[in-house]
Amino acid sequence: MLRVVKPRNARSKRALEAREPKEIEDPRTAIFVKGTSTGDKLNAAMKELMALKRPEAISFSKKNTVRPFEDTASLEFWAHKNDASMFVIGQSTKKRPDGLTFVRMYNGKVLDMCEVGVDNFVSMEHFKTKKSTPGHRPLMHFASELFDTHPRLIQLKSLLLDFFGSERLEGVHLSGVEHVISVQLAPTSPELSSTVVDTAVDETKHLPTVHLRTYTVSAMASGTKIPRIELVPMGPSLDLSLRRHQQADPEMLKAALRRPKLKKQDVEKGLGKRKKNVEVDEMGDLRGRLHVGKQNLDKLQTRKMKGLKSARDQDSESDEDLEEQGTKRRKAV
Amino acid sequence: MDVSGILAEQAQRHNAVVVDKDIALEVDLGYLTVTDPNPVDENEYKHDLEAYLQSTARIGAQVLLSALLQCQTRPSADGPLTLLPPPTTLLPRAKPLPVPKPPTKWEQFARAKGIQNRRKDLKEWDEERGEWRARWGHSGKNKEEEGAWLNEVKANADVEADPEKEARAERKARIAKNERQQMQNAARASRGSSERSVQKAEIERTLATTRVSTASMGRFDFKLEGEKKLRGVKRKYDPTERPVEDEKKSSLALISKLDGSTKKTRKDGDAVLNVRKAVRFVSKGKGGVALTREVTLKKGSKTKSEGKR
Repeated sequence: MLRVVKPRNARSKRALEAREPKEIEDPRTAIFVKGTSTGDKLNAAMKELMALKRPEAISFSKKNTVRPFEDTASLEFWAHKNDASMFVIGQSTKKRPDGLTFVRMYNGKVLDMCEVGVDNFVSMEHFKTKKSTPGHRPLMHFASELFDTHPRLIQLKSLLLDFFGSERLEGVHLSGVEHVISVQLAPTSPELSSTVVDTAVDETKHLPTVHLRTYTVSAMASGTKIPRIELVPMGPSLDLSLRRHQQADPEMLKAALRRPKLKKQDVEKGLGKRKKNVEVDEMGDLRGRLHVGKQNLDKLQTRKMKGLKSARDQDSESDEDLEEQGTKRRKAV
Repeated sequence: MDVSGILAEQAQRHNAVVVDKDIALEVDLGYLTVTDPNPVDENEYKHDLEAYLQSTARIGAQVLLSALLQCQTRPSADGPLTLLPPPTTLLPRAKPLPVPKPPTKWEQFARAKGIQNRRKDLKEWDEERGEWRARWGHSGKNKEEEGAWLNEVKANADVEADPEKEARAERKARIAKNERQQMQNAARASRGSSERSVQKAEIERTLATTRVSTASMGRFDFKLEGEKKLRGVKRKYDPTERPVEDEKKSSLALISKLDGSTKKTRKDGDAVLNVRKAVRFVSKGKGGVALTREVTLKKGSKTKSEGKR
């Protein structure tokens, strides 16, 4: 347990304040940890993933005895020390060769984990093409219906999205969009697409291979307003197979997904908060009630009757003899 | 004049940009993410993996960039900045939401009294020296009396009276008082939240409940030594006579509670099907009215075409 540090001077106070929770968070810092044994392939894969993640990446150069699925104490310690909320742990064993574990933290505790095996790795150096500038935001591309339906792949998508591009941006310069990170799956096996889920069978066997590719983007004039996009492989490219995982604790996930209250200006724009005279009915349709002003019934045109004419009444009262003349006069007017 | 060539060229250009997929791609501009829910083409996947992956990625990137080009822009020093809408994907936070700092005792008092906070300047004008001086701290103005070359002493003052010392003691006392207040504020802020205090409050509540949970409501119970009398919430009664306006307001509030049709619809959580959610899902968030309109439109167009035949 780390003691709570009381800042002794203004500089350390500022440093501590920078670590405090913020409404709109900084991008997640990832720590790259090597396990007790990592092969060349895994080392290279981690190095290049780090190159993509830079500058929000910290590398632990020494080997560490770390087993994230058994004990998370050291992860919590490192996360606290480095103010990091993500880990990429490389570990190669006989049983699970070339394993990469993505770990995500919430409030200093492990939220969820997903282990993938690196089946195939092609380095950046292999592609003799232009590379993207470090620190530029990638476009993310996910292709498969399973990313919306299968819990394992929903988690993987969430993790990878959080890893590469979870920073909230106000805007982007289109000239700064340099690369795409594409995550695609192999065709879904019939065992996986069948609706009957057999829990007894090892599910990971049927999970499709994940292809992670990176491309640089170039826009070509197409003759229309929208340019045609062309991609050039940049590297690294990885083929991953899903292995062990740990889903997020529902309570913890609920706390982690809590959003800040909407600002007043957002409410005025119509986001959030119920507005007056507007309600959603049982079918989920938005129904509004309009208020028209009070109707002036005095000017309401009813059936025209001679006897109701006000001017006539006055005339008849004042002078009955001049009745005919009065009507004539009115007609003239 | 034959324009078919030009038209074909234009169509080709258009085709190069437009994406044709069975299921529309989902774009989340806030995170610059695109998801392609179309199933994988197994033949092409097996035939040439890299080419297939690249072509799928190209389509995704094309859709995303086309969507980006339709966003609002703002001029900036480095060229136009494409403004991004808030993201639709929910990603977990790394740290909990910031908790607002609890107000100090003075802040509570000031708010109750409607006192506006007026920030003092750090420096103050010194008439005698003709320069700006700090209010406190290094060579601060609050230490003026302590360093004065001459101090006035009253005629009836004690022999050992030292105005310089007294001023210093006063200043030190003020500092000590402020520190004490700060500590009290910190203690007050952490009082409700600490685990121990929460537990204590819970135990006290349970104990109070058990004490009145006998047949005699605790009246004939054996009393322990030093046991305090139970203090509950004091009931407050409304005055017998009160303004008509108040009475009207309270009865109207009661009636509105009885009516509450909007709340009733929300409460029926026992139903197996959440109708609103289902409608939202089927109509892709457009609502039931839009859905019926769409269906009738389709039907209408069908009948028309049939009629033509």
